[in-house]
Amino acid sequence: MLDLLKSVVAEAPGYAEIRYHKRLLTTVDARNGTLKRVERRILAGAGVRCLVDGSWGFVSTTDVSEGGLQRAVMEASDAARAGARLRREKARLAPARLARGEFVYQDSDGEPDIAAKIEVVLDAEKRMRAASRLVVGSIVIYTGYADEKFIVTSDGTEAHIVDRKPSFHLFATVLRGEVRETAGKGWGVTGNWCNLMKKRDLNRMVDEAVDLAVRKLDAGYAKGGRYTVILDPQLVGVLSHEAIGHTVEADFVQSGSVVKDKIGEKVASELVTLVDDGTMQGAAGMVLVDDEGVLGERTIVIDKGILRSYLHSRESAAALDAAARGNARAFTYRDEPIIRMTNTFILPGEDSLEDMIAGIDDGFFLKEMGQGGQADATAEFMFGIAEAYRIRQGKIGELVKGITISGQAFDVLKSVDAASSDFELDLGSGHCGKWQPAKVDAGGPYLRCRVTIGGRHE
Amino acid sequence: MKGPDLCEKLVRSARAKGADEVEVYYLRTRKLEAVFEKNDLQVPKGDTYEGVGVRVIRGGRQGFAATNILAGHSVEETINAALAIAAASPEDPNHVLPEPSEARPVPGIYDEKAEGLALEDALELGRRFVEAARGYDRRVTIDSASFVVQTGERAVANSKGVRLAERGSNFSCVGMGFARDGDDVSSFDVEYSGSCALADIDPEASGRRLAEKVVKSLGATTVPSFKGSAIITPYAGGELIAGPIAFSVSADSVQNGRSRWEGKLGMSVASGLLCVTDDPRIPGGVGSTSFDREGVPPEPLEIIKDGVLGHYLHNCYTARNDGVRSNGRAVGSDQTTPGIGTTNLVVAPGTVSFDDMVRRVPKGLVVNRFSGNLDPVSGDFSGVVKGGHYIENGEIAKPVKEVMIAGNIYELFAHISAVSREVVTIGDTRLPYVQLEGVSITGK
Repeated sequence: MLDLLKSVVAEAPGYAEIRYHKRLLTTVDARNGTLKRVERRILAGAGVRCLVDGSWGFVSTTDVSEGGLQRAVMEASDAARAGARLRREKARLAPARLARGEFVYQDSDGEPDIAAKIEVVLDAEKRMRAASRLVVGSIVIYTGYADEKFIVTSDGTEAHIVDRKPSFHLFATVLRGEVRETAGKGWGVTGNWCNLMKKRDLNRMVDEAVDLAVRKLDAGYAKGGRYTVILDPQLVGVLSHEAIGHTVEADFVQSGSVVKDKIGEKVASELVTLVDDGTMQGAAGMVLVDDEGVLGERTIVIDKGILRSYLHSRESAAALDAAARGNARAFTYRDEPIIRMTNTFILPGEDSLEDMIAGIDDGFFLKEMGQGGQADATAEFMFGIAEAYRIRQGKIGELVKGITISGQAFDVLKSVDAASSDFELDLGSGHCGKWQPAKVDAGGPYLRCRVTIGGRHE
Repeated sequence: MKGPDLCEKLVRSARAKGADEVEVYYLRTRKLEAVFEKNDLQVPKGDTYEGVGVRVIRGGRQGFAATNILAGHSVEETINAALAIAAASPEDPNHVLPEPSEARPVPGIYDEKAEGLALEDALELGRRFVEAARGYDRRVTIDSASFVVQTGERAVANSKGVRLAERGSNFSCVGMGFARDGDDVSSFDVEYSGSCALADIDPEASGRRLAEKVVKSLGATTVPSFKGSAIITPYAGGELIAGPIAFSVSADSVQNGRSRWEGKLGMSVASGLLCVTDDPRIPGGVGSTSFDREGVPPEPLEIIKDGVLGHYLHNCYTARNDGVRSNGRAVGSDQTTPGIGTTNLVVAPGTVSFDDMVRRVPKGLVVNRFSGNLDPVSGDFSGVVKGGHYIENGEIAKPVKEVMIAGNIYELFAHISAVSREVVTIGDTRLPYVQLEGVSITGK
């Protein structure tokens, strides 16, 4: 395949990039005592991108014969040429560390067959229903991507990339009288089935989801207001990715996000060092080589509170005189690479979680993302919380439900006065959406900070 | 081999490998797209696609596999994979395929002109949209816009003798923008237009509509909190009205215990002013189709008539489970097993004009766009109103910002006080302006 792509790229006018991407997607979805769906999908083809006279053309096709690829290159370069008459800002490409060679991150030994996976999912769903007589809704979903890519660019990328990104999602719904509560758990990795099962114990997650849903039946609501809180690693990941991360994506910066022209300025507490790192072994957002053929690297976005860097494609790096470090990603061969995060996290500190809790007189201990959430280019955010406990006089108290947190993410990071020595990436189960999905991960230590709690009076 | 011929060949092949029943769904598409960002062309994109999805039933057990590699061994491997999944799955008597029935074509859903277009044409149509918006008022910025031309053929065949094929075309133009006047920046707003026919697309008019909306929301101020009337525009109604209705009438939601309208057939679920039809037979309708994902021809359904729930939407699985016939609402692609969805969801117009609606409101809010969360299971929603306008004493007084609305949409359906006679078509949804009473409106 590599030789075929090289020979086609060699004939292209100007810059050309061909990415052959074959994806095998497996879904096993059991709910309420039935096997809802099992799907095995192959989606394969080539995405061809040409840059002619400062304008892009992108063509994707399922026809990956030599003739089909040549036709795609021709159409993409024709489209680029036609676009060049319209496009005012000419695109240029920054030099970058281009990938050459094999980038295989998977150990398919011991990967069970589909029958074994179906059995595990059905058993977990059964366990969920058996965990409590109050369970009325039980959902267990396994999703696995197995990806293989060949990327060749006219300026020297020649990479073969293989990896797997599996995940689990669980949702338990309980009903007592008229009160219905749901709790969910999700986790994901880059790796095989065994890596996924090692990241979390499936049975324990099933039990925890049911237990939380049942406890929420008796939980009350809290009074809103400004509070000191502890965010767990998953929520630190949500804040880092959703509220901070998107504002430092260079395309959003160019559109005028809140951090435009803020490089070198203090944007967070000095306890905060925030990075994006595609090389994190086993994290769900692991990207050894991005879809422009650039090698993944660690980007220090915020260094001890000072904004140091945005996240770039080769195009934005050229426009803003910066370096591209593997953040141009495409979800399938039919998508063109755009600026995305990989694994985004805050580095751990030196505090103990116990001491952090003990230092709160009146606040909340917040765990995991609940329903709903949004953030925008101003870094204003609102997130639902899955599991929230009151803290009074330094002690964890009762569970409360219906909690949201909101604020301006950089203000929240400026209020950080303690970071634990624990560290975990825990946002690998889902996808980030920005015109196209992407597998990402995020996390950090426990942080103590100030946020606005939205509650409910009942 | 393509289309229904390929489907039938694969049906035979899977039968020969031991499947009791087989369904093969085929999809071929060609897409041309011009993407604009920050008032400038970003990238022209072209895509050609062809793929099949194979569903087998053997001994009451179902398997599904799909591939878009139609050369070499991939298709045979896909049939084998579907059979392997079936072998490992539990029996479920509700897995059935439909018998053949006549599918009458819907006129106007395929415009041959689309086949003759090239990427340059999509670029030109997109340029006209962006320039019309910018030309309307220099304070307007088009943050992103895309013009898409898509053509395709879908086909389905099964071992019971279903063999159907249909061609379609779709032109769509979507733009997102804002206006800036010095330090005053308006809300982001969206304009979408879609049609099966090239002649029905007017990029200039669409661009001007977007520009007009964002310019009108300049100079927005805050308002204090109050409880009052909210007029939901068709754009906001997509999420606040059409979304929860489509979710709750899906038999899948009902059978999974997630629908608020479980057990409510023939009962009142909304104000008598609410009438909703799902109509797959609108000539030229973006959601129109002569057969569903499983090959069942759908007919128009009055989902809600004068506030009373009339039907759930079924595919063959949920229909069998309920002991009824599928009403042809299976949706999905060659890469997915059949789900359930609407075709063209139409909320029937009322008798008052939008202007008269406003005139009767002492204190309220026009919800131009909703940015927030709505949980379709409970109906609880809360979020920010974008480009909203404050109504005082029967007049639109001023644009407002930083206003949040919250409530429970299923409870508010009982408090619909007016439905406008104007209807706006946004893709496969047709919605009037809908006035709700008793909405919590939180300002500053």
